[in-house]
Amino acid sequence: MAIPVILPRQGQSVETCIIGEWYKQVGDAVKSGDILFSYETDKASFEEEAKEDGELLAIFFEAGDEVPVLTNVAVLGTKGEAVDEFRPGGGSAPAAEESKPEVEEAAPVEVQKEVVLVDKPVGDVKISPRAKVMAEKLGVAYEQIQGSGPNGRIIAQDVEAAAESFPKMTPLAAEKAKAEGLEAPKETTGLGGRVAAADLMNYNPVYGDDFEVKKLPNIRKLIAKAMHQSLQNSAQLTHHLSADARKVMALRKQFKKKLEAGEISQNITINDLVCFAVVKALKKFPQVNTHFIGDSMRWFKKVHLGLAVDTERGLMVPAVKNADDLSIEGLSSQLASVAGAARKGNVDPELLKPEAASFTVSNLGNYGVEMFTPVINLPQTAILGVCTIVPRPKDLGDGVYGFVPMMGLSLTYDHQALDGGEATLFLKEIKEQIENLTI
Amino acid sequence: MPKIQFIDPQDVRKAGEVTFKPIPVNQYNKTVEEEKANFSKDDFLRIYHDMVVIREFETMLNEIKTKGEYNGVPYNHPGPAHLSIGQEAAAVGMAYTLGVEDFIFGSHRSHGEILAKGLSAIHKLNDDQLMDVMNKHFDGKTFAPVKENFKGTVKELAIRFLIYGTLAEIFARETGFNRGLGGSMHAFFTPFGVYPNNAIVGGSGDIAVGAALFKKVNRKDGIVVANIGDASMACGPVWEGLSFATMDQFNQLWEGDMKGGLPLIINIMNNQYGMGGQTCGETMGYNIAARIGAGLNDDQLHAERVDGYNPLAVIDAYKRKRKILEEKRGPVLLDVLTYRFSGHSPSDASSYRSKEEVEAWQAVDSILWFGAELVKAGIATEDELNGTRSATTDLITWGVKLAIDPVISPLMDMEKYPELIGDMMFSDESVDAMEDRPVEVNHPMAENPRVKQLQTKERFAFDKDGKPFSKIKQYGLRDGIFEAIVDRFYKDPTLVAYGEENRDWGGAFAVYRGLTEALPYHRLFNSPIAEASIIGTAIGYAMCGGRVIPEIMYCDFLGRCGDEVFNQLPKWQAMSGNVIKMPVVVRVSVGSKYGAQHSQDWTALAAHIPGLKVCFPVTPYDAKGLMNSALQGTDPVIFFESQRIYDIGEQFHEGGVPEGYYEIPFGEPDVKRKGSDVTILTIGATLYRALEAADILQEKYGLSAEVIDARSLVPFNYEPVIESLKKTGRLVISGDASARGSFMRDLASNITELAFDELDGPPVVVGSRNWITPAYELENSFFPQADWIIDAIHEKIVPLKGHVVKSNFTAPEQIRRSKLGV
Repeated sequence: MAIPVILPRQGQSVETCIIGEWYKQVGDAVKSGDILFSYETDKASFEEEAKEDGELLAIFFEAGDEVPVLTNVAVLGTKGEAVDEFRPGGGSAPAAEESKPEVEEAAPVEVQKEVVLVDKPVGDVKISPRAKVMAEKLGVAYEQIQGSGPNGRIIAQDVEAAAESFPKMTPLAAEKAKAEGLEAPKETTGLGGRVAAADLMNYNPVYGDDFEVKKLPNIRKLIAKAMHQSLQNSAQLTHHLSADARKVMALRKQFKKKLEAGEISQNITINDLVCFAVVKALKKFPQVNTHFIGDSMRWFKKVHLGLAVDTERGLMVPAVKNADDLSIEGLSSQLASVAGAARKGNVDPELLKPEAASFTVSNLGNYGVEMFTPVINLPQTAILGVCTIVPRPKDLGDGVYGFVPMMGLSLTYDHQALDGGEATLFLKEIKEQIENLTI
Repeated sequence: MPKIQFIDPQDVRKAGEVTFKPIPVNQYNKTVEEEKANFSKDDFLRIYHDMVVIREFETMLNEIKTKGEYNGVPYNHPGPAHLSIGQEAAAVGMAYTLGVEDFIFGSHRSHGEILAKGLSAIHKLNDDQLMDVMNKHFDGKTFAPVKENFKGTVKELAIRFLIYGTLAEIFARETGFNRGLGGSMHAFFTPFGVYPNNAIVGGSGDIAVGAALFKKVNRKDGIVVANIGDASMACGPVWEGLSFATMDQFNQLWEGDMKGGLPLIINIMNNQYGMGGQTCGETMGYNIAARIGAGLNDDQLHAERVDGYNPLAVIDAYKRKRKILEEKRGPVLLDVLTYRFSGHSPSDASSYRSKEEVEAWQAVDSILWFGAELVKAGIATEDELNGTRSATTDLITWGVKLAIDPVISPLMDMEKYPELIGDMMFSDESVDAMEDRPVEVNHPMAENPRVKQLQTKERFAFDKDGKPFSKIKQYGLRDGIFEAIVDRFYKDPTLVAYGEENRDWGGAFAVYRGLTEALPYHRLFNSPIAEASIIGTAIGYAMCGGRVIPEIMYCDFLGRCGDEVFNQLPKWQAMSGNVIKMPVVVRVSVGSKYGAQHSQDWTALAAHIPGLKVCFPVTPYDAKGLMNSALQGTDPVIFFESQRIYDIGEQFHEGGVPEGYYEIPFGEPDVKRKGSDVTILTIGATLYRALEAADILQEKYGLSAEVIDARSLVPFNYEPVIESLKKTGRLVISGDASARGSFMRDLASNITELAFDELDGPPVVVGSRNWITPAYELENSFFPQADWIIDAIHEKIVPLKGHVVKSNFTAPEQIRRSKLGV
């Protein structure tokens, strides 16, 4: 018996996903466990496995389609079985699911949903005021729609149909298209396939087509948006400081020996130790372990530590919940686990939300970065950048100077939430913790 | 025609002849010496004084118009000034005997009459009464500048008040008698018995008759004088007024103390010219205007010609004629011969008369002659008369200076209060009864046969299962109108109703069936077939304080009372500065089946005229509620009805038409059927065809139509329509009026402005063709039909799948028709 393949729901807040790639085609034989397709939420991408053996009888959505979660996307079964009963809404557009069949029977006028595009001379667009207002609101580029009203006038029903069936424009794009006389391209980058303003850019005539337009992966768009918003919506600045790394380096050496000796199972890294020190510092400075939300702040009782992880798809920041409850081994283990999941793309999307962490650590020490200005993961109030260790001259006492390994620390904080003095004291506390770390 | 009057063929076919009594011409022949027995020295001097005041007042206006100054005071008066220099004896003689309770109505040339009647009233009122009048008028606003620093007697003060109030009115000042909204041709002051003067020639010819009707029906003291010119005797409405005023029924059918003629004097101020047309010898054929009386009734209107250059002759006539009116033998017609030295207006070059003629009349100037007679008879010395003249010059100079002072006598501040005039267009009051006294009825309302019959009717059209009751069982539209009217007859003692076939017949469309039994003649009667007089008298009746329902039967007859409906009824509330109320509900019935002159919907004509409220209810519930509102209000209402649906039951209001009293406010359109895809807004009985169209749209095309009944045209609240458009975005406006220039077009234009962004297509007007209304058999080609509405939607708003049009609503056809004017 044929069974539907539904689009799983990843996290409570996820309403729709975008189909990534189909690994199986209609007609392929599928075994339970085979990967059928990949899909993206706005935070992560996933792969969906076949739950049963059978033949892939139908695929309802193409790669790139935005599909509401729990919707049937494909059908598995035996060759020849009917699939229509599983077809969502009977149409290819997700919104079509909403349309009521009785309306279709009773209202033949409204059924005429197919959208015909025509080439019209510029300025020869007849559209009713209502349709125009609607088009602007829905971001529908109406100029090329064939109107169904008298004398080809575009009327409200045409805009409604268009909104359901073709690339919608973002409001910005629609405005830009109108103002500059640009056309919507076939390739779009906006959310849900909407034509974004950038899609409308005129290509540079000097370079011609000496480039390839690559669609941004969903995650890239999200990162872009988050970063842009972070810098737009907060008052960020960064303080830099160095901490004597001899203590953590010694600890790291001890743990390495223990690991080699089999006394412990967890590879405890310098980063783990720095994070451990940061957690301790946060306990002393609860005003940094916060979210800034405009007219108020969330003061967290526990430390939920976010860790910036560089993945193939882009930057991800999974959170380790209740990090202050953890021992150094526990913390190390958890950090390794979320980072691994993030790289693999199967991390719990809930953990990727900026709201999941109360403070974030971003470590670029491995790459030899000596100083940087990390960008706050809003609504968190601060982020610590950990830099590489460089030997620096230091007064060792009695007028003796020697080279000491110093670790760079860059604290970016939101000046809306914290004052410079507080931030400095907090950064100094991290330094103290690192320099005097005991396990 | 009542059954008690038997037309006996034997009698009316008998041979015989009509005989006339001689009509007296200038028969007064007493000398001043002889009149000493009837007038004191004061009386004589007062007559002289009043004539001098009028002469100087008008001389002043003439100087200002022609020279730009008077007595060294410069002023530019851009407005009209129709002067009556030379006619003073006629005006003073007319007003001399009149009491304060006697009303005069006038013309565009009535400054002299206003002053004469005002001076007469001042003489008759005591000081307390005068102070009361002056203090109360606009809360003392007119009085304030007059009394400032004044130290004379109250009577002198009142004379100044009269001069100032009239002059400020002529100069459009806010302190004028009518806030400056009446002006020279319409000034009046009711506390002195001076009722509206009228810029339309003969305009007072029917209005004054209504005032006399008011006095009679409501048993008020006093008589009414209509001062109209010799040329106005050509005007139809004057003849209609005369016909109305001489109806036999006053003597033959009205009962008890109501029996008898109207207390009315038609006073022809016969200055022998109508503008430049010479009435005697050129534009009329009566030779002597008093002849007209002979044609109107057996009494010949007691008509006579009086020498209007001798004030004593006019006074003598008024004393005699008053007696006739007191004996209820009115009305009376007086042909008061006079002459104006001044032109029709300051621009008049007197090209139509010789210098010799004017000089000949100046040689017999009534003021010079009367003054000389007084000196000759030893009543006054030259010095006394000179004193009167110079004091008058001072008085008028004072008046001019005060009235043109922009601080003391400002114009209305339209910049600061831009809606001042707007606020005066309607009085918008809610009044149960115009007077508080018992109503005159023949039996308790519950005993009325029609009222009893209505108790057996079904007040909702459908039974519990939605099946319609038989037509005969249904409470119809005419019943709703009847209930509201009969209720008001039992509430408001001043209410009267009349028109053609209103009594006995029960109205041409049986709305009044049962009223004949309930009401005495003087509250419900048949009028002559003279619509101008029906509406004109109603205006006069309401002006004096009564409430009235005139009925003109067919809408097509509106043209017959055009001046009354368009120029008089809507204007007087605002032109009086809101002194006057106008509770007149004009019933107008839109016909069908009767062809080109009996089937027109002229709602647009009424709606176009500022100052009228206009409604067109088409369900029994709406008809009763709107009639109640109309009758509770104090504004003129043109109440349209449709002959297609007098018998239609109530199909919309849940629970049917309430038995008790309720009002539906003017201006609120009503959603008769809810829908979501297209809005159909209708005026009048077209509602039912729109509902038919809505059924077809739903069944055949799946289009859900919202149907809104405009109910009122003026005022009109657009908000419910805009709300509907927010849902549907599509609008058809339909009504039975010919589409061109219709109120539907006005609605469409306003809605386009107000809800442009909601519109998914143009508001489409589906009205009647711009043709004559054809015979009943062809009416479907003329009046909007359900399929026209669907065709229009298909052609202009949203193409309907599979629809085949029957009528041509395309743009080229619209242009073609417009080019041809059809």
